[in-house]
Amino acid sequence: MKNRVYITTTSSVSCAGKNNQILFQNILSGVTGIKQDRKYFFNANPALGKLDTEGTFFDVLISECQNILDNSQLENYEETLLVIGSSVGGMQTTEDIYMQRGEYADIDPNMHHIQVISNCLNDTFEFYDDVSFSTACTSSANAIGYAYEVLSKGLYKNVLVVGADSLSQTTVGGFLALGVLSSNPCKPFDENRDGMNVSEAVACLLLETQSRDGSMEVCGVGYSSDAYHMTHPKPKGEGAFCAMQKALNMAKITSNDIDYINAHGTGTEANDSAEAEAIVSLFPHKPFVSSTKSITGHTLGASGALEAIVSYMVIEKQVLPPNHFLQDPSNTEINLRNDASDTGIQYVMSNAFAFGGNNCSLVFGRLK
Amino acid sequence: MKSIRLKIIQSAYAFGAKEIEGLNTKILVPKMMTRRRLTRAAKIAIYLSNEVSFTKGRIVYGSSFGELESTANILNSISNKEAISPTYFQNSVYNTAISYLSILQENEEELLTISSGDKTSDSVLKVGSVKALDGDTLLLLVTETLNIAGIEKLNVCEQYLECAVALKVRLTDEAPTIKFTKSVGDSKVPHSVRTMLTIAKQCEVGEVNVIEVQL
Repeated sequence: MKNRVYITTTSSVSCAGKNNQILFQNILSGVTGIKQDRKYFFNANPALGKLDTEGTFFDVLISECQNILDNSQLENYEETLLVIGSSVGGMQTTEDIYMQRGEYADIDPNMHHIQVISNCLNDTFEFYDDVSFSTACTSSANAIGYAYEVLSKGLYKNVLVVGADSLSQTTVGGFLALGVLSSNPCKPFDENRDGMNVSEAVACLLLETQSRDGSMEVCGVGYSSDAYHMTHPKPKGEGAFCAMQKALNMAKITSNDIDYINAHGTGTEANDSAEAEAIVSLFPHKPFVSSTKSITGHTLGASGALEAIVSYMVIEKQVLPPNHFLQDPSNTEINLRNDASDTGIQYVMSNAFAFGGNNCSLVFGRLK
Repeated sequence: MKSIRLKIIQSAYAFGAKEIEGLNTKILVPKMMTRRRLTRAAKIAIYLSNEVSFTKGRIVYGSSFGELESTANILNSISNKEAISPTYFQNSVYNTAISYLSILQENEEELLTISSGDKTSDSVLKVGSVKALDGDTLLLLVTETLNIAGIEKLNVCEQYLECAVALKVRLTDEAPTIKFTKSVGDSKVPHSVRTMLTIAKQCEVGEVNVIEVQL
């Protein structure tokens, strides 16, 4: 007998909002946090999503986790498993030192790796245990999936998932090198899309086996691997299809039960076309599909957690987020709309796909 | 505290002061174009996977520092105001090694990458144990590849810059035969691989090898 698992408390900060309420309002009204930025490379003008917060990235991390504690029924994190999802960890710190010195001498290895996030939080809070996942852009989606697994199997009391990534020259320059960064807020699924926006965020979710007022149920998770290419998904989206199907199977629902898909929808040709093909194949009843990355940007390792919070808000408010900036859909077989709409929403699917063909789909449900 | 028992079906490990030798990459990856793109960690993952006869299934992989050489190359490019190589960038993510392994093996199962600093192999064991409750056979793999130019400025303690361990495991209710404590083992290898290396070194060919993982 598996335990039911609920997301009971959430907190986020991103370029699209200093908290969940502002984030969701901006998603509905089309206020994007994406701006052109020449800070990283003088000869390029990519549109990026920067955090506008006081203090360091680590201060933000601590503040967001304190928010969770303040708004949950937990007194402390002593019985909580901390699960981190991040693609770059302390890369920004390493870069800053290396660019000043031109050598590794003053770089602290413990401030470089992914575990720096966990170490930072363990300095402030006491957790039962922690683990850090780094699967590029699926990192925190996988973290939520793992949290769901351990709680449904009755192995831990509760789990705090933290998705966190900050921008660095490595990240911005790397995506520039791949030729996939847009100089404008991205237009996922649009015929005239010209790339993605990388951005930074911290998104935290507390998962428990007891529901609270306003909880959202985690109903299932599906994982798959493309086994195809390091940066390109299979063109027909077979890996995405497999992850979504597995998530439906675990949730014990059919594709017809899904009311809304929060797509990975990065705004790149390769991702959008493959994801759209997979959605067309699996969802003949054409549920509403949107990508919220035109407002938040692609927060990389944090995106799974941030978009789980968007899904949480969708279910709480019963409002579907539009596809802002969408003018000419490249795939007319999926149900893309560019206006927000109210409707009865029972189940939401959230997709995350990553380098290496790593795929993770999550199914969330409204409490019955 | 919950515990889960795993039977180790096969195990393998390798380490080298600078590099692990004898990876048989030319034989294991005949296509030159593919071989040229592989990182050191990917080559080691392919070698160890072959050593434990793992061809398909879920993989839980760990590395504290990930793809250090690709990361260092990107830093050098930025510092020298040179263009960043797309290959270095795609090879810089922590899940690079097992992604290449999955492409070569056409393995479409779940791949998970953990980076938990010094306790990375402890975390691989815990997460692998949780996954093993589903009843399938998994590959638990950990690698560190620290041999980059200038590493002596950072590294003052590890004598072996490349080290890796593979354990092919499945759930069991048999009594544990191998004892290990948290992050003990060979002090000359990175902390992040020590626990799994301690276990692998105790595995006896032809014997039943069982560990009990405390969550």
